[in-house]
Amino acid sequence: MKETTTTRPKASAFLSRRFKTAGILIILGLVVESVSLLWNHPLSFVAFLGIGGLLLAAGTVLYLWSLASQASDTSG
Amino acid sequence: MPTAAVLILAGITVILIVALMVRPEITLARGGKIVAFLGLFILPVFTGFLGVENHFERSKQTSFCLSCHVMGDYGRSLHVDNPDYIPAAHFQNNRVPREEACYTCHTDYTLYTGGIKAKIRGLHHLYAQYIGTPHHPIKLYTPYNNRECLHCHLGSRKFEEGAVHTADPQTMADIKSNKLSCVSLGCHNTVHNIGELDKVKYWNPQQ
Repeated sequence: MKETTTTRPKASAFLSRRFKTAGILIILGLVVESVSLLWNHPLSFVAFLGIGGLLLAAGTVLYLWSLASQASDTSG
Repeated sequence: MPTAAVLILAGITVILIVALMVRPEITLARGGKIVAFLGLFILPVFTGFLGVENHFERSKQTSFCLSCHVMGDYGRSLHVDNPDYIPAAHFQNNRVPREEACYTCHTDYTLYTGGIKAKIRGLHHLYAQYIGTPHHPIKLYTPYNNRECLHCHLGSRKFEEGAVHTADPQTMADIKSNKLSCVSLGCHNTVHNIGELDKVKYWNPQQ
């Protein structure tokens, strides 16, 4: 019982950290994508997909992974 | 979707994410979880798709095509003062929208159709432009398809009743089935002709 009460806040803090990391990655991705939209050039599309898209994908995958691991922890 | 709309959506998403990062406790409630899912998944993915669509639309612009050095002469050829130059005649007489002149006659170009192979070609163009050496002059990957002309000219009186086009029934059938190219020798074969650009006069609309 004691173990449960001490591990839950730790797990919650860890999850919160993951959400924050996901949020930062998504924000960076959106900033790169927004800047690329202001530049009409072939390289802007590469920046949009190669940098912005990658950051956005990493952020959303990290968020979904955190959700999935939270669900499995709760059910376990 | 206009660029401003995509930027506004990106801004709203960023504000939502910052709010979630500053007040993470709101995600403990059911409503907060939904907001987090919206801000960290739905909106970013939606914004990304809108951004891709926006880039695709902007890549149809003449200025986009001409931003590559190797395309410069093709841009110049649109201003040749000679109606025999097919692209110039179309550009100068608004037969194609000037802002999308390249794309209107090259709808099958790498980015727009052709799947993965075409996208790899697009990447090769970037490599050739910034790292390697582009071919000079550049060439189309496949022979020019009559479809690019017929999507406007098909059904028009000048095309359907043209003396050469209707000289015999087979000619028209061959044009429509792409067996006889519109840019064949003796037909409309004066196209960009970039090798001759130093010897021609140019149209200056300000005169």
